Amino acid sequence: MDETTDLAARVDALEQALATVNTLNTEIFYWWCTALMLAIHAGFLAYEMGASRAKNALASGIKNLLAFAFLIPGFYYVGWWIYNAFPAGIVPGDAAAALPWSTAMGPNLADSASGIFYAAFTLFGATTASIMSGSVIERIRMSAFTILAVLLGSVVWVLGAAWGWHPAGWLTARWGLHDIGAAGCVHTVAGLFTLGVLINLGPRVGRYNADGSVNEIPGHNMPMSLIGLMLIVMGFFGFLGGCIIYTADGWLTIYNTPVTLSAFAFNTLMGIAGGMIGCYIMTRDPFWMMSGALVGVISAAPGLDVYYPPLAFLISFLGGILAPKVNAILVTRFKIDDAVGAVAVHGWTGIYGLVMCGIFAAGYPNIEGPEISFAGQLASAAVFAALGFVPGYAVSYVLKVFGLLRVPAAVELAGLDKVEIPAKAYPEAAVPAFDLSPLSPAE
Amino acid sequence: MSPITTWEGAEAYFVFADSPALIWLSLLGSVAACVYTIVKMASHEAHCAKAHK
Repeated sequence: MDETTDLAARVDALEQALATVNTLNTEIFYWWCTALMLAIHAGFLAYEMGASRAKNALASGIKNLLAFAFLIPGFYYVGWWIYNAFPAGIVPGDAAAALPWSTAMGPNLADSASGIFYAAFTLFGATTASIMSGSVIERIRMSAFTILAVLLGSVVWVLGAAWGWHPAGWLTARWGLHDIGAAGCVHTVAGLFTLGVLINLGPRVGRYNADGSVNEIPGHNMPMSLIGLMLIVMGFFGFLGGCIIYTADGWLTIYNTPVTLSAFAFNTLMGIAGGMIGCYIMTRDPFWMMSGALVGVISAAPGLDVYYPPLAFLISFLGGILAPKVNAILVTRFKIDDAVGAVAVHGWTGIYGLVMCGIFAAGYPNIEGPEISFAGQLASAAVFAALGFVPGYAVSYVLKVFGLLRVPAAVELAGLDKVEIPAKAYPEAAVPAFDLSPLSPAE
Repeated sequence: MSPITTWEGAEAYFVFADSPALIWLSLLGSVAACVYTIVKMASHEAHCAKAHK
């Protein structure tokens, strides 16, 4: 009897220890995913400063930093609650624990999940807002950008996430949406939001000639942009890791279907490669090659868990071919001055990836709702597109009406750094790097 | 300011956890700081643009 009691006590102790280890593993996993996602922001910072002319380099960087800094409290105030309250649609459900005055939204020994998931989702939100950031450089007012970034990153995208990137989201429960890598709620929403803003913001001074022809406005530091883009790609491993749910029984997708990290590893890498090569063959341009890495990830993102890796490569390869074309159409035909091509890279490619998943992953069962279908993917893509575009256009229109959206032309011509920033990016730029006069023997 | 007197059985233990009024005050204060900064940002932009003229 004593032995039985002792054995039962040991089993209880082991079960408790296992539960503790599982809790710690969950916290540790999302902690490091969040940390890795910071590389995305280091990347956006370098990439957008490099894509700006030297006269706007610091202003572009400050814009990025502001988006990141304001997103963190913004998402705390409303974002986490929106994700938990709106899976059913536009009527909020009970999500009292996610409200900022809840005792779960601070250090709490009875809740080891809220903070770590809030952190991961905040970084998703900051990434979404940063997608808009590069497109609007060199002419948007920082205050307007900050308002738009907080709206996009703390409210709009996460409403899309509640609808379509949540185990009980209505797009999945009713239409069978499958988008495990967040191509819809992050990339499509951000890209279409950006399009709405760009329509109201208008092109940079000098971008178009009177006859409608386009002038290139190259950034001042392409190598910095390339390194930045590679950092974003690196950070995407944190982003995609955060898309997977760690449980005691193994990994699950956001829709509670089983998955392995191996599945993500195969298809993320093949997607990156396909997008880079596709963009290379279309443009030969290193900026687009690295943007192609993002195109590749986004193209494959909805079906990262189920694709055969060479299929992921081909989908991303075609995505890499299409994205520069779409950008060229936007720039030349529609006169949308997207300084970094984010509408095509994120908005268009997000839609493309969702539709490809509807073609190639049709018939896979969901835990909640119908199986994956072409119609469900297409209709969900339309919902994400509208969800992004409407608020982006509407709020930027209001800012424009009140003269708050864009800097005056004189400021734009002089450069935002000179007019608004109390620091210099390249203070010794006017000093010759070396003297061409003959050297004395002593030198 | 500690809401707990022992770690035994402690749950929410952050400063102000036992005071809804102070939670709200902190929350609204942080929101106000963000809004104030954005307003000052807009004001700085307008001032700089005017000075540039």
